[in-house]
Formats: sequence, structure tokens, C-alpha cells
Amino acid sequence: MSLALKPAVVVERSTPMTGAIELVVHHPPSAVAVNPGQFFQLAVAAPQTILRRPYSAAWTDPDSGRIGFIFNVVGAGSGWLAVRHEGHELDLLGPLGRGFDLDGTEPAIIVAGGLGVAVFPGVVRTLVGRGRQVTVLLGARTSAQLLPVDRFPGAEVRKATDDGSAGHRGSVVDLFGSTRGGAVEVFACGPTPMLQALIETARRLDVPLESIQVSLETPMGCGVGTCLGCAVPRPGAGYLLTCLDGPCVHADRIEWNRMTDAFHG
Amino acid sequence: MAEQLDLSVDLGRGLRLRSPVMVASGTFGYGFDAPLVDRTALGAIVTKGTTPRAREGNAPTRIAETPSGMLNAIGLQNPGVDHVARVYAPMWAAWDVPVIVNVAGDAVDDYVAVARRLDGVAGVAGLELNISCPNIANGLQFGLDPRPAAHLTTAVRAVTRLPLLVKLTPNVTDIVAVGRAVEEAGADAVSAINTYVGMAIDVRHRRPVLSRGSGGLSGPAIKPLALHAVWQLSGALSIPVVGIGGIMTAADALEFLLAGATAVQLGTVNYVRPQAVREIHDGIAAHLEEHDLRDLGALPIRPARVEAHV
Repeated sequence: MSLALKPAVVVERSTPMTGAIELVVHHPPSAVAVNPGQFFQLAVAAPQTILRRPYSAAWTDPDSGRIGFIFNVVGAGSGWLAVRHEGHELDLLGPLGRGFDLDGTEPAIIVAGGLGVAVFPGVVRTLVGRGRQVTVLLGARTSAQLLPVDRFPGAEVRKATDDGSAGHRGSVVDLFGSTRGGAVEVFACGPTPMLQALIETARRLDVPLESIQVSLETPMGCGVGTCLGCAVPRPGAGYLLTCLDGPCVHADRIEWNRMTDAFHG
Repeated sequence: MAEQLDLSVDLGRGLRLRSPVMVASGTFGYGFDAPLVDRTALGAIVTKGTTPRAREGNAPTRIAETPSGMLNAIGLQNPGVDHVARVYAPMWAAWDVPVIVNVAGDAVDDYVAVARRLDGVAGVAGLELNISCPNIANGLQFGLDPRPAAHLTTAVRAVTRLPLLVKLTPNVTDIVAVGRAVEEAGADAVSAINTYVGMAIDVRHRRPVLSRGSGGLSGPAIKPLALHAVWQLSGALSIPVVGIGGIMTAADALEFLLAGATAVQLGTVNYVRPQAVREIHDGIAAHLEEHDLRDLGALPIRPARVEAHV
């Protein structure tokens, strides 16, 4: 982990899907250091904000020194980030935390709800690059809010939308329930209620929770383990820290009934 | 500048720091996790609040950002004093920066037990009594009133030779009365202030954001309040006052030093700018040079013992 002594520079800003922004920054030392699923703490300078904002890298390209971040506007900090443009500087702290364990061999199923998809382009590229069979399940309210299929080359992509405008009408968790067969490894990210529904479905289908990895999103203070603010309940007693033990953790390490769907922005 | 600047400060009972810039309890763990802090600029580390036995802390949600500040209700998650004494202190003993252990508990006996366990332990440079934690049951009970504050300070003073700081809560009508009481009871210095009790409500879910409902407010939102408390205390007490509350820049730190603080502690800023200790240290040094001052003693802008107006 490092603090960017020289700030990262925004080299590209785009709208990959309705309601989302993608910022591409140039920062070679950080780009080479990221394991898929790790995050950065981005400093924001919106009025009255204090804390850095944690964002998983959507993808990195070590050769060009680029890192992509995909996010939506949920508050003042993300609102400030959303109006960064080419040439603006960003202060990054990272990469932080644990990424996904991608060393398995089973076919991989990605379950991405809403903006949870933001962590997966780099994950899928790495899995495909390792010869894994990858199925990406994308869920959103409507088709315009789905990240385009071409962001997942080499993977099979299936869609679920609440309004039925693309793919399965319903939730991405339903899609997961109808997709699997045989031994798989699952990688999931999305709103806490979606992850809880996924865990319920997995239990019902006898998918072992150890074969599911989730990327957690919780309110976060420091991002480095000192403030103890990003606690996540463990089975039995005690807490994990999203920033040190995660954000990517195996689902059996979490007490899902006590997970909080917290507001953060 | 022909002569060397002297940024050292004396907190009493032999606790001399080479820099007035300390890091505040709860914002720096036990000194092992914080990245990239330049220890040569650091006066002292104050640890996470430490209790006789390990504590798991509060259920999430534990933190929330609020305008120019943040609320926390961590709940004193810590590994317990025995672990601190056996595992951490030996490592601190090799460091070139003093480590002050913040002590917390539910009862006088808890504080006494922690102080007793740490007395004479190499690597522990001092104690800071947390009589002001808003995030556990009864955490504030000792800090709200001069009499229990003095009673607790006396009890701890009796079992330790270590320098003893007492961290005051601002959630009182008269912080000077509590400050005077702990001074008379044997405190070597006071740290002022701990967080203000506050809350935030999640409108979408129609419930408090924090699991405990309330939490402690820190950050620039409380800086003017903290500064006034330090001004009042430094005018009334003879022991050093360590200023804490929303310091983000060297100018903020200088305000506290001008108000009469002997040293300052950085808290929330540690989460945002890991290099803040160095920046603020250097900014204080630059201010001294600019004003042709050789040390910090000349900074306070009024003579000691002048009462402040509320």
C-alpha cells in the first residue's frame, strides 16, 4: 500500500451506463500494485466533507498505468468525483485491503447487483486470462443501467432487470438460482439486501458459503485498520474489518443476519 | 535561522516530547497500522482506549460523516491490557517516540487495574485517563462532575508512577471545574477535549445512523468549541493542557498553541491525510521562524491565570 506522492491524473471520463460515471486515472505505481477486488481511498474536496471515499478499482492496466473507477452519485463526495474531468488531479491512498482469491479452478459465476458490477471488469479479465469458465450475471432496475456486455470479453453474460427491459424479469439472485449446476465458485457484489438474498438462495441450493466470495461495501473511516469503523459481524461473536479483512471475503466468515444496510455516500 | 529551533514540550513528570504534535486516542490504533507517518515529526502516540479485558466493540453502524465532521461509536474495541503489556509494549520500547496508553473502563477498579498492570512496563511512557468516552454504557460517568473525576484520578495516581494525563469531556456545563478537580487530584496534564455527543438520522430508513443512536462528534465542526475549552482551561490550570479538536492544518494547531495549549493531538485528520503530522509539525516550525521565536514557550497570547469569559 502506498500513498500516491504524486497525485493521479484523470485521463478519461465517461458514462458507461445510465446513472454511472467512469473515471480513468493515470498512476503507474498504483496500477501495477492492484489485486482485483482491492480498493483505494479517494480524497474528495466537496464542501463540508471530511473522509476519503473508498472505491474498488474496476480494472487496472499495468502497461498503461491506468486504473478505472465506476460509481454513481449518492452524496456530496461522489458528486464531487463525478465532476472530475481530464487533467484534474486525484489523491489516492492504496491499493488497500484484500482482493478476491482468484486461484480456484471451478467455473466462476459473477453475481453483480446494480453498481456492484463496478468491481468486476478486472476480476473477469483475470479469470478469463487464467482459462476459467466465467458466467456474468448482471442485475439492474432497467436495461440502460446495465454495464455493456463488451466489458466482459470471454465471459458469458446474462441479464436480469426489474422491469424486464433486458433478459430475465426480476432479480439477479433469481437468475443465479436458475443458473447454477455442478461445482462453481461465486463472486458477488451488490447492495446488502441483495447479498443477503443471494446467501439465502445459496443455502437453499446447498451451495457451500465457502465457495462464495463477496466484495463488501460498508461505511468506512480510515481504510487502514485504525479507526475500527467498518466492522462487519462474524458468525458467533466479534467483527471483521472491511478495510483489512476485506473488502473481499468468503461468505461463511460473515453473520449475514446481523449485516446492516447502512446509508453511506 | 542561526539557532536551532526547539519544538520540544514538557508534559510533566519527565514526559518530554520532541514535538508538540501528538496523535489522538482511537485514531492511530496502537501505532502499528497507520501508514506513512513520519515518526520524526511526532511528539507522542496516544493509543486506542484500553480496558482490563478485551472488548469487541459496538455493532455496526459505527461511524457516520456529518457536515465538517464525523460521528463515531466504536465502543472501545481493544485487545485488553494484558495483550497490550505483553505484545505491544515490548515493541514500543524500541521506538524513538513515546507511547501513552489511553485507559478506559466501566468502574474505578477497571482504571486502577489497567494502570497497575502498566506501571513499570517498558515501552509505556504515560497514561491518559479516558473519563469521557460517550460510546459505552457509563463511559461518561467520571467526566461529567468534578468529584468522581477527582476520585478516579486519585485512585489511579496512587498506583502508578507514570505521567498521568486526564482526557476531559466537553459534554459538561463547566469544564474548568472538572479540570481543576483532576489537577488537584494529581493529574500531570489534561487533554481537552474528547468528542461531543451527537447523532445523525438515516431519513431513508427512518432510524438513527449509528447502532447506538448517538456517538462522538469530531473534526473541524467542533474546532471552535474545543479551542474555547482549551482557552478556558489554560487560563485556569497550572498543569499543561493538550489541545484536541478538529485540527486539520498547522494554522489550526497554532490556534490551540496560541490559546495556551502546550501540545496538540491530531485525530480525525489522521484518517484523511496520513502525512498530516509532518505537515503540521513543519508548519509550526515555519511560524516560529517567521516570528523569530526559538521555542514554543513564547506562543501563548496571554499571561497564564487570566480567567476567560464564557
